[in-house]
Amino acid sequence: MGSFRYIFRDTLRLITRHWGLSILTLLTTVTVLFLLGLSSLFALNLRHMVSRVEGELVVQAYLKGGSDATALAKRIRSVSYVRDVRVISPEEALDRLRAKLGNQARAVTLLGENPLPWGLEIQVEKASFVSMLVRDLVALPSVEEVVYSGQLADKLSRISVLATRVSAVIMLLGAVISSLVIFNTIRIALYSRSEEIRVMLLVGATRTYIAFPFVLQGLFLGTIGAAVANGVLAAGYAYAVNVLKLTLPFVVLLRNTPFLIKFHLILLGTGMTLGWMCSWFAVSRFISGANRPE
Amino acid sequence: MEIRLAGITKVFSPEIVALEDIFLTVEKGEFVYLIGTTGSGKTTLLRLITREIVPTRGQISVGNRNLRKIRSSELPYYRRNLGVVFQDFKLLNDLTVFENVAFVIEAMGVPPRIVQTRVNEVIDLVGLWRRRFLKPMQLSGGERQRVAIARAMANSPSIFLADEPTGNLDLHTSEEIIRLLLSINAAGTTVVVATHDQYLVDAYRQRVVELHDGRLKRDEKRGRYVIDGEL
Ligand SMILES: Nc1ncnc2c1ncn2[C@@H]1O[C@H](COP(=O)(O)OP(=O)(O)OP(=O)(O)O)[C@@H](O)[C@H]1O
Ligand SMILES: [Mg+2]
Repeated sequence: MGSFRYIFRDTLRLITRHWGLSILTLLTTVTVLFLLGLSSLFALNLRHMVSRVEGELVVQAYLKGGSDATALAKRIRSVSYVRDVRVISPEEALDRLRAKLGNQARAVTLLGENPLPWGLEIQVEKASFVSMLVRDLVALPSVEEVVYSGQLADKLSRISVLATRVSAVIMLLGAVISSLVIFNTIRIALYSRSEEIRVMLLVGATRTYIAFPFVLQGLFLGTIGAAVANGVLAAGYAYAVNVLKLTLPFVVLLRNTPFLIKFHLILLGTGMTLGWMCSWFAVSRFISGANRPE
Repeated sequence: MEIRLAGITKVFSPEIVALEDIFLTVEKGEFVYLIGTTGSGKTTLLRLITREIVPTRGQISVGNRNLRKIRSSELPYYRRNLGVVFQDFKLLNDLTVFENVAFVIEAMGVPPRIVQTRVNEVIDLVGLWRRRFLKPMQLSGGERQRVAIARAMANSPSIFLADEPTGNLDLHTSEEIIRLLLSINAAGTTVVVATHDQYLVDAYRQRVVELHDGRLKRDEKRGRYVIDGEL
């Protein structure tokens, strides 16, 4: 149990004795994790917006006279990628048409009996499913005609795929850069204490005992770095949400609180894991080198 | 613990053969002077015992451990049997005298209260009680040497290795240090001292092992001479 006290004391010594270096590393870690978080938030919002537009993407199917719209809607609703199906009665379709025509609405009355067919409005989860849905709908005997904006659907599905890839690349790059930064700091800390480590090895300290303070230092840097980055991001994000609401109302940022909390927790976890793993890696490499006999 | 070297050769590079075909046994509780001109291989021999280096040829064992086969996970526990005064002291300049001595036994997981007692005891023994909160840079050469000795004593080692513990010291201080080493030996610890100091070797007579160009030149034990490794 004595060992833990010594280990914590030595960790504190490591952090405070070279506090200039510690603060520098902390700043770098904060910056890198902030950028990592910022790019992730950007990518997540891009995807969010794409999926919102996708959600508004509607495929309209007009049915042949005499077919059962409600039964068909039920069948289509059970398809996994279909988000929602709405049945449009001829009356509703007529109302819409009137609304669209405005002061020429009278013309509609001239039609006499309502000539419009029953229809379905189908929303899908993702734009890439649209073409599949259309193919299936056209094959149904009760469907007369299918109307959708094919080009828009194609474009959206391409943007969505691109956004996913770009965000993955950005996150990977961010993770690699933060790893390198933390790894390097721990290495500098190790070199500045290489003599001490050699002496400790010579007098019979175990690798674990020597490594622990450095690993804790890395964990500390990663944790505090991520925590500060989280704070700055959260404040900045809240500000951005407010500003955009006033200036660019059509840009709607993600405001799902549980989702954002999860995001911040993941960033914190990333910082802690990177700090722990990088320092562990640096220390074990260094000690193996120092311990190798000539 | 006894130290056995059998046919030890250490080659650093083709031109540098630091030790050649050394046969040497140091019994438990013995006191041995390791002498020889500079570059004769004294430090190399001590570094073989601490397993900082491994021999190119030959066998070396300490106690019942074969140092060629020792696993790196066992190494710390092996080294806790040794107390070493390095030729360059290897004191940590950031730490005080007290901390320099303490960290050796702290690393073994000894509880703080016992560390406190033991460290104060050895610091007092080497006469540095009043200097215990100073840092190595604030000490004189002889004082630093005594910190190194106190550190090597702290874990009550079975084997005490000292590399030039009296280098650059005046006669009076050198004698004090040798007497300290003799008292450690009197408590049952095996002691090996590498030294240049012919006066001390003559004044405090003990077994003398002389190296010359990496070869064993003389092993003088109770008046008997071994020349060039032959009995
Ligand atoms: N790590 C090394 N690499 C290459 N050569 C070495 C190494 N260590 C020692 N040597 C060489 O081995 C020889 C013996 O060195 P060693 O340090 O054992 O001498 P020494 O007897 O302790 O000398 P001194 O009395 O000056 O301390 C020297 O010629 C030295 O240059
Ligand atoms: Mg030497």
